[in-house]
Amino acid sequence: MPAVRETAEQVLELERYKHGFITEVDQEFAPKGLTEATIRFISAKKDEPDWMLEWRLDAFRRWQALEEPRWARLEYPPIDYQDAYYYAAPKAKDGPASLDEVDPELLATYAKLGIPLKEQEVLAGVAGAPRYAVDAVFDSVSVVTTFKKELAAAGVIFCPISEAIREHPELVRKYLGSVVPVSDNYFACLNSAVFSDGSFVYVPPGVRCPMELSTYFRINAAESGQFERTLIIADKGAYVSYLEGCTAPMRDENQLHAAVVELVILEDAEIKYSTVQNWYPGDAEGRGGIYNFVTKRADCREDRAKVSWTQVETGSAITWKYPSCILRGNESAGEFYSIAITNNRQQADTGTKMIHLGANTRSRIISKGISAGRSTNTYRGLVSAHPKAKGARNFTQCDSLLIGKQCGAHTTPYIEARNASAHFEHEATTTRLSEDQLFYAMQRGLSQEEAVQLLVNGFVKDVLQELPMEFAVEAQKLVAISLEGSVG
Amino acid sequence: MTALLSIRDLSARVEEKEILSGLSLDVPAGEVHAIMGPNGAGKSTLSYVLTGRPGYEVTSGTASLAGEDLLALEPNERAARGVFLSFQYPLEIPGVPALTFLRTALNAQRKARGEAEIAAPDFLRLVRAKAAALKIDFDMLKRALNVGFSGGEKKRMEILQMSVLEPKLAILDETDSGLDIDAMRIVAEGVNALRAPDRALLVITHYQRLLDYVQPDRVHVLAGGRIVASGGPELAHQLEAEGYDRYGSLAA
Amino acid sequence: MSLARAIETGDVGLLPSRRDEDWRWSDLRGLIRVAPPASPEWVEPLAPGPFSGADAEEILVVNGRGPDLIVVGPGEKRAIALRLIAAPNAGSHLARLAIEVGEGGELTLLESHEGAGQDYLTASDMTIELGAGAQAERIVLAAESESGVAVSIAKVQLAAGARFEQMVLASGARRERIETVVEHPGAGAFVRLDGVYLLNERRHSDITTVVTHNGVDGITDQLIKGVVQDQARGVFQGRILVAKGADQTDARMGHHALILSDRAEVDAKPELEIWADDVACAHGNTVGALDEDALFYAAQRGIPPDEARALLIQAFVGEAVDRVRHEGAREVARAWVAQRLGASL
Repeated sequence: MPAVRETAEQVLELERYKHGFITEVDQEFAPKGLTEATIRFISAKKDEPDWMLEWRLDAFRRWQALEEPRWARLEYPPIDYQDAYYYAAPKAKDGPASLDEVDPELLATYAKLGIPLKEQEVLAGVAGAPRYAVDAVFDSVSVVTTFKKELAAAGVIFCPISEAIREHPELVRKYLGSVVPVSDNYFACLNSAVFSDGSFVYVPPGVRCPMELSTYFRINAAESGQFERTLIIADKGAYVSYLEGCTAPMRDENQLHAAVVELVILEDAEIKYSTVQNWYPGDAEGRGGIYNFVTKRADCREDRAKVSWTQVETGSAITWKYPSCILRGNESAGEFYSIAITNNRQQADTGTKMIHLGANTRSRIISKGISAGRSTNTYRGLVSAHPKAKGARNFTQCDSLLIGKQCGAHTTPYIEARNASAHFEHEATTTRLSEDQLFYAMQRGLSQEEAVQLLVNGFVKDVLQELPMEFAVEAQKLVAISLEGSVG
Repeated sequence: MTALLSIRDLSARVEEKEILSGLSLDVPAGEVHAIMGPNGAGKSTLSYVLTGRPGYEVTSGTASLAGEDLLALEPNERAARGVFLSFQYPLEIPGVPALTFLRTALNAQRKARGEAEIAAPDFLRLVRAKAAALKIDFDMLKRALNVGFSGGEKKRMEILQMSVLEPKLAILDETDSGLDIDAMRIVAEGVNALRAPDRALLVITHYQRLLDYVQPDRVHVLAGGRIVASGGPELAHQLEAEGYDRYGSLAA
Repeated sequence: MSLARAIETGDVGLLPSRRDEDWRWSDLRGLIRVAPPASPEWVEPLAPGPFSGADAEEILVVNGRGPDLIVVGPGEKRAIALRLIAAPNAGSHLARLAIEVGEGGELTLLESHEGAGQDYLTASDMTIELGAGAQAERIVLAAESESGVAVSIAKVQLAAGARFEQMVLASGARRERIETVVEHPGAGAFVRLDGVYLLNERRHSDITTVVTHNGVDGITDQLIKGVVQDQARGVFQGRILVAKGADQTDARMGHHALILSDRAEVDAKPELEIWADDVACAHGNTVGALDEDALFYAAQRGIPPDEARALLIQAFVGEAVDRVRHEGAREVARAWVAQRLGASL
């Protein structure tokens, strides 16, 4: 995948956090703070129908009655929700009709990141490599979506959610909030009120989406929060593979990212959702960095529905996310593969929930946590089988790797089995880099950095192999960069 | 005289896939019959169907032991009638000493047959003698069944159980797989010691090697879910020399 | 939330509830509307306890009344059958007990929780301190009544080179919580925290342990086995915390449960909180039914299904019981297992 390869190459060239640059673009903002007026402003900017505005306002009222959760192993100063911009968008005429109308600075940003906005570039890429369509989101707004015509020919809808609300309201109304209800949790509720943009995907029955779909999120504006909302629906027998990639510039203050991702999978359908998250993690002293509070959930609504979540989390000052699967249909299956790396003063509390409701459902969890510096890394998971979930099977493997003596690695699994034929197996181990192995590798000529990379790659191999191939390469490089300087 | 084991047009499937397709076979008492065939042909499936393993569904045909319908009985009932399977992969049962397991099994079978249970001292004497003949260290039998045993030791344990339980029909499923020459000799001796006029032995094997030591009266080729050829012991040598290819076409 | 104050004052609002993270599966506040009255004295004779056959001194704490200090002097060796009894007239009571074992001392504590009453709410608050090189094996046999609510909390402090071993045999109650919190100094000390819970009918049992490794070079080894049937509910919460700098800690936890009926439930939370890197820490947790292959193997050898199940369940539980060191206690434990399994299978 040429775009990703370019990204990886650029990433290697620069120091430490490669995407730390700021794009000087003309932007417009909502007034600072969060009131009903802000909601109306956002909805008006996006030209939303009344039902959408009502939905947002209802969410906002509910949010005001909720309390921020503090049960995770995360420490951070109180967030002043009034001290942020909830809408920041590059100034544009009424939406770009073609790439020519998009601000060249923006295009330059995306070129710098290696995102193939120019379709020809993608098509001219390596022969036989899978093509992938991109929806590029800059702060609160989707800049452009590629390959829409081709996808439309296959019946696939791939567009920004703001467009879907206008063009496909029946689909949005049917499914939005059906997997993550509005008041599910504090951050999802906030998102429901102020969500800016995100991707909407609908794959019709029996269709195997002809290319991989991807959204590249970039938070650029200072003091703004990003609240993207993604909704993906795989109708009966459909298949789609989706990649979410994210970057943000280096800033001194913390920025809030509270996203909601809903996946709906119908009979015999499958969604593969991969995330390579490289938000700005803050500096070595823990200043700045993104607060990543994300709610991601998949509803395997009908029989033999299948979903797999693969994530590589290396950025964020704070990570709070638990991609989950509701295994409702009989013989439905959920998988969660995760690499979570924390360094310096990062904190991550992440994991998954597998809720077995239907009969003969299966789930598989492989979590690899790496802690370095003065960071804290917690796996938090729930595996549960309802009394009617006969034959539910789960296998969970949680491994933690500690690098250095100042960090922490924790595992907090909740296991609830409520019938006699459920079978749950869970294993967790904690280790550190073996000095013997490091010495052996170095004695064979590898530098210490290279030796650490080698061992870490071995540790995370099981998860890397679940990523679409080219993303695995990018992920591998990200892993190496995140751990630079962690040993010695 | 009717055969001890009589199978007629047996068809069976596992997980919706038909593995046995109209298999017929007769094994008279006092004889050793070998079943050979390519992998995936249904050799182990045959042994599981005869012993009643859950998940193996008979779709048609019959199998009877000494005239009695075997397929209508539960696995433990078949055992009490004298069916014994030496597993290809004998199970480990943590926490249950081998001696305890064996004595429980023997007494359960005796009870089912209306016989008296065996007294502890008699049982120990019996097992000690049989273990010595198979070169099994008696102390090993006080440990949990098969836990920490090598492949060869597990196979010898199967033969020990067989010799204590004295079955009428003994099915040996790939008993020589994973064994070196010495281990195989000991196992073969143990099997030969169990030949008897009222006992039938069904030896399932992929390779001919074991049959040099446990010489069969008849050799059958199982391919495509049924018996496609039968002959004397020389058939085994022919298969060794030529392989199973010629039976590929017959297996449709 | 304070259990002790709730019992002392009768204020049920202070009882632990689902909102207290550590009590999420053992809610008391929702269960008890009105606290039973304070337990009066019991003056009638008592039936012999489960450890009456053992060669041990009997110490009685009946309805919360009894000695509040047990001392084993340096180098001394004592075996004590401690009976915490909720008599037929029991209501609410809290017993406090401090146990001290001096340097090089050895204690075998055969502790029975006997619930002869109905609808009681009882708690025991125990501290156990072991001096340098001291040893203690604590075997808790909990036999509460079906309608009782019983909480037992033991806080264990160990000095260097001490050895603390525990086996909890739980048969549940309306709500039962047996909690053990250990401050592990590292320093060559050894901790074994085992448990077996065998639950039927509508009984609930919660075994909760927390071990904090505060220093270098310590071992914790934990094996918990559970069998639940009917509509019973088993809970296991095990946290191992390794503090910064507590290198060379070796901590292993295993929890394995069998669910034998479709209305029974097992909830588990095996937790690791690790702040040191030169450690070997692991936990394994399985919940399921008996191994199908093992059941077929036994059947093929002639063992009928019920007998095979009983044999395998006994073996499953036996793996933990075999680890009890005190021979007399181990026999009592075996008999208890046989009786509990025989009664229900």
